[in-house]
Amino acid sequence: MKKRLLLIPLALLLVVSLVAIGCEAEEEKDSILIGASRPITGANAPIGDAAFGPIMALWEIKINDAGGIYVEDYGKSLPIEYIIYDDATDVGAMVRNTEKLILEDEVDILFSSCGTAFISAQAPVANKYGMVLVTAEGGATIMRDALYGLPYVFVNLPFSDHYQLPVFADMCAAAGAKTAYMITIADLHGVEYGGVAAMEFDRVGIQVLANKSVPITYTDFSLLVKDAMAADPDVFCVFAYPPIVIPVTGEMMVIGFNPPAVIMGPGGNFGFYGATFGVEAIEGVSCFAAANSKTGPEFERHFSELEALVGWPNLDWWGTPFYEPICQMWEQAIEATGTLDQDTLRDYFATHHFDTLLGDTYYEMFGEGGGLMVKETHPGEIGQWQSGIVEIVGGGDWPGVVLTSEWIYPKPPWPTP
Amino acid sequence: MDITRFKSKGFFIPGLISLVLLILLATLPLSLGGYTVVLVTTILMYAILTVSWVLFSGPSGYMSLASAAFFGVGIYIGALLLPNTGQVLPLLVVVVLGGLASSIVALGVGALTLRLRGIYFAIFTFGLVVLILEVLNWWEHTVSHIRGRFVMVVDNETIFYVMLAIFVATMLTFFFLRRSKFGLALQSIGQNEEAAAHSGVNVTMVKVLTFALSAFFVGAAGVVWATRLTYIDPYIAFNFFLSFLPVLMAIFGGIGQIYGPVVGAAIFAYLQETLQTEFPEVYMLTFGIVLVVVILYLPNGIVGLIPKLWRRISGGQHANT
Repeated sequence: MKKRLLLIPLALLLVVSLVAIGCEAEEEKDSILIGASRPITGANAPIGDAAFGPIMALWEIKINDAGGIYVEDYGKSLPIEYIIYDDATDVGAMVRNTEKLILEDEVDILFSSCGTAFISAQAPVANKYGMVLVTAEGGATIMRDALYGLPYVFVNLPFSDHYQLPVFADMCAAAGAKTAYMITIADLHGVEYGGVAAMEFDRVGIQVLANKSVPITYTDFSLLVKDAMAADPDVFCVFAYPPIVIPVTGEMMVIGFNPPAVIMGPGGNFGFYGATFGVEAIEGVSCFAAANSKTGPEFERHFSELEALVGWPNLDWWGTPFYEPICQMWEQAIEATGTLDQDTLRDYFATHHFDTLLGDTYYEMFGEGGGLMVKETHPGEIGQWQSGIVEIVGGGDWPGVVLTSEWIYPKPPWPTP
Repeated sequence: MDITRFKSKGFFIPGLISLVLLILLATLPLSLGGYTVVLVTTILMYAILTVSWVLFSGPSGYMSLASAAFFGVGIYIGALLLPNTGQVLPLLVVVVLGGLASSIVALGVGALTLRLRGIYFAIFTFGLVVLILEVLNWWEHTVSHIRGRFVMVVDNETIFYVMLAIFVATMLTFFFLRRSKFGLALQSIGQNEEAAAHSGVNVTMVKVLTFALSAFFVGAAGVVWATRLTYIDPYIAFNFFLSFLPVLMAIFGGIGQIYGPVVGAAIFAYLQETLQTEFPEVYMLTFGIVLVVVILYLPNGIVGLIPKLWRRISGGQHANT
């Protein structure tokens, strides 16, 4: 009986302790807390490390060295502080992390996860809690369609029909290509790019010989590349991630499959792609890319700062020119509104133009919903490895496009082993 | 209700404790809210998967790795009937439909494969996850041309209470099934299938029906989980890891007691959350070490420690002689 009586105060203690945990005293604000669920491990880790990851690191150094961002609500400049959780390239873990960041850590700003499927899953979660999400690595037509119901979401990166593949199809047709062969990864990215490319090639009169969808777990590409070689296409597209793009490139070199145009993405746009094979070996391989150091003085500054930070030249010619503006826009929005209130910041993002690396930067709004960064901010859409770097060889027909070289078609042969 | 009958069977105290715990759980969103509710919802989801796995695989001895398939079917039913453009049916109806869809899959698969034993059954059930995933991939890629699906957003309290209701239903089913003739038949199958058949047990029917029953709760939980994920594609829905986690959680907690799988799921889910966010570099390593230690030194799982500790505290006065 005594033992049972003891359980009552113990149970009460447990309940009181649990309630106390939920009622922590409010502390004075001494930093802007930024939360992110990122792929520190798993298949997307190389992308995260080469894309938005270094931009985040660089921004932290620059802002905190400058004394922080002035927030009028607090009457002082606040340094930024990150809470970064590993999602291990798992969407379920990313959703869990995002909710933890918002509800438990009560971050002031939510930064983007990595990958199209990931931002597609993160966007409704951020929206549910009224947190502004400016997305980084990823973008898709399905996201654009969903923006009408996602007022807190702003999509940055160029994607398939916005306007990479229309530009690439026009380039191929102008060069005289008649046939194309595609390998696509069996996920949102592959289905998206395979579908849009089929429409765009059809528009310009290029016949699609095959669209081979491969699961993420696929590792032996020898038969697939031989099949592509037997089809003898003018254009060979691999719309997949680095773990597929890299072995397919290696297999092409081994069997000497060298079609006039080869496009690899995402993967071909990263510095580590060149480092894997040696930059001379991949001369002429095309990829999705926006800018390089020759695009303008600000881009030269952007790429040299990144190189100084990580020790690698030009990490990502597609993404980083769009990720630095994410940080610049946050800084400008907070300073202009003087608050960290998400509704106020959301309205600022929706209605104002920003001065960023990309120049005049703003969003096309989808009704009362979220925004998509306008195409006029895109300095380029298609790149090609030439003499050790990715040159920008294809872009839209709007002002602000800067092509840094001519597209080489047909691409040079692979080096002899 | 005849209280004395329950008292005599030793149901009263455990039943009262369970009721108090349930009331405490049910008041959680009111008292704590925020992320605690989200975390407990995750734990409940894992507990449902684990108890459902033990419901069939525990007594029958058939190692099922189909949890991810049944969960994925529920997630897909949720995505189809609760799209972000407007729900087709009420949430609770979809939860039941998700459970039924998973049960139907289990009935079909069970009827075909529950004549297989040992490793063959385990491999087939895991193959089922891959099969459904790849068929859906093919369908979405070549027929529907749908690039992922957004799911209706539901508030955390609703998700929590529906998950709690499924959990309670799973536990009650588990509790009463073990004490029913049906449960005894399943146990006899696990001990000696031939002897059970010769004793007049319709072994195929018992196995297939229990397999389908266990799949119901997993599918129902999948529907609720879809509203938490808010966006799914075949790879997100059919996560291989979820075929193995219930097995590990059950072994970790202890299969012998009714509360073993729940304790295992709760500790495992909390460990996963803490390790993955605080110590990502050693997350899987620590997980592996904990599991190896439990299997080597705690064959009855974590809850197997309780009687040992109790005997030690009470000075061995209740120890068997």
